[in-house]
Order: sequence, then C-alpha cells, then structure tokens
Amino acid sequence: MKKLVPLATVVLALGIFVAACGSDDSDSGSSGVEVTDVWARPTTPTADAGAIYMTINSKDGDSLTAAKVPSSIAGMTQIHETTTDGEATSSEDSMESGDSMSSDDSMGSDDSMDSDHSMEGGSMMGMKEVSQIDIPAGETVTLEPGGFHIMLLDLKGQIKAGDTIPVTLTFEKAGTVEVDATAQDQ
Amino acid sequence: MEVLRIRSLTFGRVLVPILLVAALAVIVTGCGSDDSSTELNGITRVPPAKTGNLSLPDYSPQSGGKKVAVRGNEDGLMLVYFGYTSCPDVCPTTLADLRNALAELDPAQRERVQVSMVTVDPDRDTGRVLNGYLAHFFEPGEYHSLRTTDQALLNRADEAFGASHKLGKPDADGNYDVSHTALLYAVDPKGTVEVEWPFGTDADVIADDLKTLLDNNSQNPDA
Repeated sequence: MKKLVPLATVVLALGIFVAACGSDDSDSGSSGVEVTDVWARPTTPTADAGAIYMTINSKDGDSLTAAKVPSSIAGMTQIHETTTDGEATSSEDSMESGDSMSSDDSMGSDDSMDSDHSMEGGSMMGMKEVSQIDIPAGETVTLEPGGFHIMLLDLKGQIKAGDTIPVTLTFEKAGTVEVDATAQDQ
Repeated sequence: MEVLRIRSLTFGRVLVPILLVAALAVIVTGCGSDDSSTELNGITRVPPAKTGNLSLPDYSPQSGGKKVAVRGNEDGLMLVYFGYTSCPDVCPTTLADLRNALAELDPAQRERVQVSMVTVDPDRDTGRVLNGYLAHFFEPGEYHSLRTTDQALLNRADEAFGASHKLGKPDADGNYDVSHTALLYAVDPKGTVEVEWPFGTDADVIADDLKTLLDNNSQNPDA
C-alpha cells in the first residue's frame, strides 16, 4: 500500500500536467496576437465542406490573411464570411410589416400585396470568400456561425466530435501562428 | 374584530385548508391564464403562408422517392428548411439548433414532429447525400429528404413559403456558391405556416414555440 501513494501522486501530477497542456489552446507568444476557443463543427459522413471558428485578439492590430490545414484533412482552405442579402428586408422588418398589416384593417388590396411580396424576397443567406479579416488594435474578433469562418473544402474524411485539426494561421504582422481546432457540437 | 376571533379559533382546522385551496386556485388560474404560453417567439405572418397541395419527392429510407405532402400529420407539425449539404456554416448550425430543440420535447410531443429539408442544390445533393446529412442530426423515420430536379416544382415550393434561392456560376473547378432563405418553418396539418424562426434562434426558443404549437393543435384539432 505504501508504494501506491507515491504512484498515485505521480499519476495525479501527470494528470494535472496533461490537463494543463490540453487546455492551452491559445497561442499568444510574443506576436501580439492571441487565438483562443478554436473549434470545428463535426461534419456528416457525406459532407465535403466544413468550418472552423475561433476568437482572435490583437494588441497592436493585425490582419488574418490565410489559414491552412493539412492536405490529408481538406484539399482547400478559404476565409469566408456569411452574408445576408437584402438587409433592409431582414426578418425583423418582416415582422413589423406583418404587425402593421394586421392593424391596418382598411382593405389594403394591391399595396399590401406588394409589401407582402417584397418582404418575402429578403434575407437570403450566402457566403463569400474574403481576402482577410482585420483585427483592430486592442480588439477581439470572433469567427462564429453566421459570421466569419475558416471554410474547409474538399474534405478528405468526416470530422468527428473530439478530433483535433492543426491549423496554420498567417497574420500580416505576427506571421505564422499554429493552433489546434477541436471538433465539438455546439 | 369578529373576523379576528374566528381566525384565531379556527386557524388550524379551517383556514389552512382554505389557504391551500386558494393557493392551488392561484396556481391553476396562473397556468390557464398564462398568455405568454400561447404567444410565439418566432415570426408569424399576417396572413400566414400556406403550402396548399404542395408535395415533393422524399428520398428518405421510409419513402424511397415517393411524394409527401408538405404539412404536419394529423395533430402534428412538419418543420421545413431550405438548404444544401455543402453548406458548412448556416445549415448545420440551424439543424444542430433544431436537434437540440427536439431533445427538449417529451417523447409524445417529439413523435408528432417531422423534419423536412428541401435541397436547393439537387444536382449535388442526391437522395443518398441528403439522407446521410439528415441522419447525422435526426432519428430514422423523423426526417424527410425532399429533393426535386424539376425547377418549376422547386420554385413553387419556394413561393409557397415566400422563400428564395440562387445558385452562382460555377468556377473553373465546377464549384458554385449557393444562397438561400435560411428560415426554419413550422407547418400545421392544414398546410398553414404557423411560425418561422430566423437563423440564430436559440434551441430553447424553438422548443418553447414547438410546445406551444403542439399544445394548441391538440386542444383544438379543428382550429
């Protein structure tokens, strides 16, 4: 029994050591750029595209200009922004149109049909590739669903919850920053 | 004074039961008159969109390409989403939110809900691809993989919901951009779109609305 105690202590210490390493998902260093909360959404077995998200902070201001993952994971990587067409006819406006129509009891024939139609056309969402993401000095930019993401194209296999994907980020000033994305359902 | 005397005499035997009954009454009326439980969090349109006699081919394992009506079953709901499977951001986020919302329903409620994804990219999204995608989020038998290569029919589906989609020009590698209305719709058994949720709606909010709609439908099936 006596021998078990030091062994347990070692195991415990090792556990803490490993946990400490595991939780270190940021890479700040002397670059002035700090990248945290790097995660990927698990994909379906048949998906050929995926997305990686993260939080970037820059002390002096910088720009993310490129991101790369091993070619064994995805054939191509791009920086993307999810966009919403017709911002003026967003869902909130639709709701307002709906409310005003319901309170407008006068037989709004053609006019209301027109507004109905215009409200239906709005808020299509799509994506576009962007050349860079600017991080203003002292600010934090979050890549998150519905905003910016690192798009993985030509996926070589399914990304499963718990997988780790090494990501090489290139910043205009800070240069190359290596981070690990953890695949997790959110 | 009379009252005080009575209270002091009968507190233990009469007043406590009275208080209990009164408290219970407050709780019961509290539930019944809780207006917030009948109000929906999502977007409701006036007048609501209707799917009419719209039906689309369903490539899910249980239907194998047969057409299904785009509406809820009996006293249930069909949740409809227009999307495509190469979509890495908006679609999986919405479907994951919906998966989490369905997990908040009790089994009897969940049985009354079906999920349909209409692909706006039928060339790349074959039935097999669509099934693999939806099986990642939902239980077998719970989802419908709606797909048609008949552009006129797909447009009719868009119009029924007031949705739209657009496919970009293919690049040198044959890749093209897709944009689409990213709302999630709840359709009742009569084909009425009762509520729609925009991208980013929390799972809790969707679940709350689903419970409200299912309660309403079971209370007045003819409504």
